[in-house]
Amino acid sequence: MKNILVIDDDAIIQNVLEKVLVKEGFHVEVAGNGKEGLSKLDLMKYELVITDLMMPYANGFEIISKLKQHPNTANAAVIVVSSITHEASVMDSFKLGVDEYIRKPIMVGELILRVNKLLSNRSSNA
Amino acid sequence: MHSIFSGFNTTDTATWPWLDYFTGLPLVIQIAAVSIVVSVCFILFIQFRILQTRISGYRLQKRLDRINPIIDAVISDQVILRNDLMADGASVDNVPLDLSGFENPVFRRSANRQLLLERLISYRKSFGGKTGALLRRIYLELGLEKMSFSKMKSFRWNNKVKGIRELTDMDIIISDVNILPLTNSKRHELRSEARNAYIKLSKNEPFKFFDISTEPLLMWDQIELFKTITTTENIAVPNFARWVTYSNNKSIISFCLKLIVYYNQTDAAPAVVRLLDNKDHVLRAEAINCLGKLKYEEVEQQLIHIYSNQPLRCQIEILKAVGRFETGKSAAFLKQEFLYSTDFDIRKNAALSLVKSTHDPALITELMEASSEENQLIIKHSMNPLIKY
Repeated sequence: MKNILVIDDDAIIQNVLEKVLVKEGFHVEVAGNGKEGLSKLDLMKYELVITDLMMPYANGFEIISKLKQHPNTANAAVIVVSSITHEASVMDSFKLGVDEYIRKPIMVGELILRVNKLLSNRSSNA
Repeated sequence: MHSIFSGFNTTDTATWPWLDYFTGLPLVIQIAAVSIVVSVCFILFIQFRILQTRISGYRLQKRLDRINPIIDAVISDQVILRNDLMADGASVDNVPLDLSGFENPVFRRSANRQLLLERLISYRKSFGGKTGALLRRIYLELGLEKMSFSKMKSFRWNNKVKGIRELTDMDIIISDVNILPLTNSKRHELRSEARNAYIKLSKNEPFKFFDISTEPLLMWDQIELFKTITTTENIAVPNFARWVTYSNNKSIISFCLKLIVYYNQTDAAPAVVRLLDNKDHVLRAEAINCLGKLKYEEVEQQLIHIYSNQPLRCQIEILKAVGRFETGKSAAFLKQEFLYSTDFDIRKNAALSLVKSTHDPALITELMEASSEENQLIIKHSMNPLIKY
């Protein structure tokens, strides 16, 4: 079973993404802010991290750069889910090594397809 | 020393013995005592209000803790986790919906129905596509739009704002008769909300309220409206020259000039040129700015012709516009302003425009040699590629 870490300060998004991804057969860990998200990195090896950009304690950019340095997430795929539509933020995210950038409001069907595609591409490349 | 109670009848000392004692005290002590009593009363009142707010917040949280799981369970079951919705060709209007979970007696209370409504809106703000459409269907099938419409009929402006916001969040069309008058309300918050809603919800003429607006469009409103306009999908963009020509509301004209630039409506330029004769110099400056950004070169000589009669703000905009045209035809004019003006801003903008519009290194070298130390610094600053023009 593949492990996914969801970091978002919106309880509704946490709740929905957890349910949807568990239904798809993943093990999901949820964190409500950047600090909590970073503390969960030590728990297990993750194949995918889904994170928001604007959150209390540590923003998405800080999280992404730390994910890339942590042994449990250095090779994990990263999806940013954010309401920020500013081009510079999108570019900065991709420069940090993000694989997908999904704008809020989220389309659940699209998110599931992207998650499955990303993880299957990673497994076939490995 | 006069007592602050000297005008009162204090003969009845049997009933008010402390008053007799108080009036006997020196004036300074009396004032201090009154101040202390007033301060203590004020602090007690504030503490009471804080306590009241905390109790109501605690009660609300308890209600939310009880109600939200019920709402979340129904939404998960009926919206998020259903398989038929994701199938190709599945229509949101046809999928069966079981809303018996919301028949729970707890939702008969209007306060709890309001919480349900707010929760649905929060879900809809986070999820779009078919999920969002299904959440909208639930809102309509539960008749919650009636609550939002009834808020719009309230006498209190904050209730009206709440109602408009709910309907906008749920993409419910509000008839022009109900919303248009509110776009010109005296209450700024209501006016702003109604205008945003009108742009979002009106499919044919989202800018119709520009025709009737007599109240000003404040700068913050302009930012909010600009965000709404540029983020609303499939918005019908009209030619903004219409309002530049006919509107009597200066703030509407000013906003339209910004929209003309954003949508690069070059066919609106002749209407903008007519604003150069406007008596308001702020509007004239904005029109010149707009023409510069549109790169409407046809007006270059006219701008140079009127330059000497304009106030500083317009002169600076003319210098910027000439630089933006990048024709190189006005190098002599820019050079003259740079060398002989006594105003620093004029010299700075003339130099920036010279560097931008004339790609002649010999001219820049010539200017450097002929310039004072301060002007040389201005040219060096203007040649820095990091300086945003």
